[in-house]
Amino acid sequence: MSYQKLFDSKISTEAAKAWRAQGKKAVGTICCHVPDEIIRAAGILPVRMRATDCVDSSSGEVWMSTFSCSFARSILQYWMDGVYDLDGIVASDGCMMPSRVFDNAEYIDKKNGKNRFFYQIGAPRIVNDMTLSYYVDELKELIERLEKFSGVKVTDEALKEYIAKYNEARVLVQQVAELRKADNPVINGQDFSSIILAYTDYPIEEYIEMLKEFLADAKNRKPYTEQRARLMIIGSALDDPGYLKIVEDKGGIFVADALCFGTRAFPGQLEVDDKDVLGSIAKYYLERLVCPRMMDDRATLHEYIINTAKEYKVDGIIYEKMQYCECWGGESVLLEDELKEAGIPLLTVEREEHLANAGQLAIRAEAFIEMIEK
Amino acid sequence: MAKDTRLEDAVLRGEMSIVDFCCEKVNGQIERMKERNPDLLWTLEIQRAMWEMFRDGHKNGKKVIWFGGPVPVDLIVAFDCVPVYLDTVPIRLSPNPVLAARFIDAAEKYVPNSMCGIDKVELGMTLLNQFGPEPDAFVYSSVPCDSSRIAYPNMDMILTKKGTPCFAFDTPFRRDERGIQYLVDQTKRFISWMEELTGTKFDQEKYNEVCKKTNRTFEWQGKCAELRMRKPCPLPGRMLVLNGTSNAMSGFDAMGDLLEKEYEVGEMLYELGMGPCPEGEKHRVALLQNMLWSSAGTMDWLEREYNTVAVMDAFGFQYGDIYEHIGDLEDCLRVMARKMQNNPMIHGASGPSENFIYLVDKIFENYEPDVSMFIGHIGCKHTWASAKMVTDMIQEKYGIPSLYIDVDGIDGRYKSLDEIKASVADYMDTVVNK
Repeated sequence: MSYQKLFDSKISTEAAKAWRAQGKKAVGTICCHVPDEIIRAAGILPVRMRATDCVDSSSGEVWMSTFSCSFARSILQYWMDGVYDLDGIVASDGCMMPSRVFDNAEYIDKKNGKNRFFYQIGAPRIVNDMTLSYYVDELKELIERLEKFSGVKVTDEALKEYIAKYNEARVLVQQVAELRKADNPVINGQDFSSIILAYTDYPIEEYIEMLKEFLADAKNRKPYTEQRARLMIIGSALDDPGYLKIVEDKGGIFVADALCFGTRAFPGQLEVDDKDVLGSIAKYYLERLVCPRMMDDRATLHEYIINTAKEYKVDGIIYEKMQYCECWGGESVLLEDELKEAGIPLLTVEREEHLANAGQLAIRAEAFIEMIEK
Repeated sequence: MAKDTRLEDAVLRGEMSIVDFCCEKVNGQIERMKERNPDLLWTLEIQRAMWEMFRDGHKNGKKVIWFGGPVPVDLIVAFDCVPVYLDTVPIRLSPNPVLAARFIDAAEKYVPNSMCGIDKVELGMTLLNQFGPEPDAFVYSSVPCDSSRIAYPNMDMILTKKGTPCFAFDTPFRRDERGIQYLVDQTKRFISWMEELTGTKFDQEKYNEVCKKTNRTFEWQGKCAELRMRKPCPLPGRMLVLNGTSNAMSGFDAMGDLLEKEYEVGEMLYELGMGPCPEGEKHRVALLQNMLWSSAGTMDWLEREYNTVAVMDAFGFQYGDIYEHIGDLEDCLRVMARKMQNNPMIHGASGPSENFIYLVDKIFENYEPDVSMFIGHIGCKHTWASAKMVTDMIQEKYGIPSLYIDVDGIDGRYKSLDEIKASVADYMDTVVNK
């Protein structure tokens, strides 16, 4: 079954290597306002950068200091170590940490005389007609730069072709997520996390095929029946299923999330207006729910968390805050009270990119599960 | 004699507002200075003017508008409202760690302790509702950093629940035409919002007057900055703190008066061959990040012990954009957009690191420091994440090694003045004066 690759969360560079072996370009992407559809329409493979399994980010720390988010500095570490052998990086200014990964990576690249392709787009933090128009202009410039870089003209037809493909993936991922609604789901949190992470490494066509095969075979999987509590996970970028395993080993099962490497990576559908294809892309990417880097969607984000928790019959939420991740770190101000009002128990934990506090997490998770199990 | 802490205690008990406390403290300082050092009274007048304006805003029939980050302050003033630059609160409280802690701790109930102390104090103050006069509106921006992007929207939600109108600017990292136009378009929308808030129409004449005052402020500030380029630098490092907060009051005569006086005194000292270093200027230091608000005594100590003066700090550094065509609204809005992007801290810290590197390079080019210190406020994590690029540039281009120390510019509990001094002393003794 070729879909087994969906369950290998390790960063795989095989697809990018094969792609580049054909003389085509592949770029790393950072953060969620870089539309993959545009990059693919320019004939380039987007590889969403992550730091899974990075246990030593000391060189990244030299550049970004200890006061930086370890997810971000681990990505820089991987970039410096050559884990990602790509033709450049395209980033959006998600929060300040990915921006600094981008800055440092570009600086180091130039210093080393490599001069690969680097481009950062500005993504507004407020959604309205004015900011949407600004974002469209940012994407237009991205297209110009990509066209020059790859030599491939980005046409509306190509954009629509990839919108259709990514939309198909969105539908399939949502179908996978639906499996988690069952009383005894056939996938747990680790499985789902791995499935999502796989999209970062493979061309969308291959990812779609794997998802289809998996969904076709899902009914044959043995359901998880031993769980004592249904959990939801929210918080900072989490690209390590091992983190979820620590909690699930204590009797919980993650059935929902609000993670950027989770269901929020593939929300809804990108509706295309044939008269304004780029505008449609901008609208989708700007309006979809992302993380608290946005300034005007807090209430919607909280509503999404609460509604999802109810929809997936969650017994409790684990809120993981990456140290030095201010965006998610500061989201408690009103969320805690709102969850209390909704009667949803909450466990807040701090974490690092590597599993530094696994023992402590296990103890706290066990206590939380005992408290909320029915 | 035991220190009189009645005012501090009242704030700690929640019985006195921050504004009342600051007014009382500044007036007390002024009274003491009248007796001991009347020649320096001018350095405090601006504080009295500002805090009393905050306190008496409602009494004087004006709307009190909180603002955070770079916003078009001149327009707020032109609408005859009182602009309250929220950063002045943590900066004013920072020399007293216990007092600052009250608000920091209140915020840390919800936010991580790694968040910037400036934003924690502002959020804590909002949660405890202890500023003083209730704001009539809150205007903020999406910069400078992730900490402010957490604090401001949360404050927005808290205030909105109370019925306080809020307006947010999305400030782009672009410094080009697209970025400027984006801010101009938002500012036009802001004017309509202010018209609705105040129930008055935008008055071009009033705005022109404010622009003139602001120009005066920044012309004098530019002259003071040029004065600092001289050798020896006649102005003390401590005065740099004003650069970071001058935007709060730039549209008022008091700010221009202060800077004019600062220039006059600096010029006089220069003519007399005097400066802040008792034995003459031996070294000139560039501070690569924020001012040491919570430990500003470090500046005095450096001057006294090492005859070393801080000539410029990267975050307070101003480009000083000037309105050139007052009366031409479109042109003024463009200048204002540039001002918003070139605000202290915003210019170097809020966008790509190349802006920060450029800014520091300019400081080294213009002020010719021979000592480089990255005394980094820990809350400013994204500048820590640019620091190596900046200090590598200084090393490669100017041959100067940089000192790194982590401090909390607002929360004095993080590191004591003595600890900071010890690190600086080691660097001065073993690297600079080896």
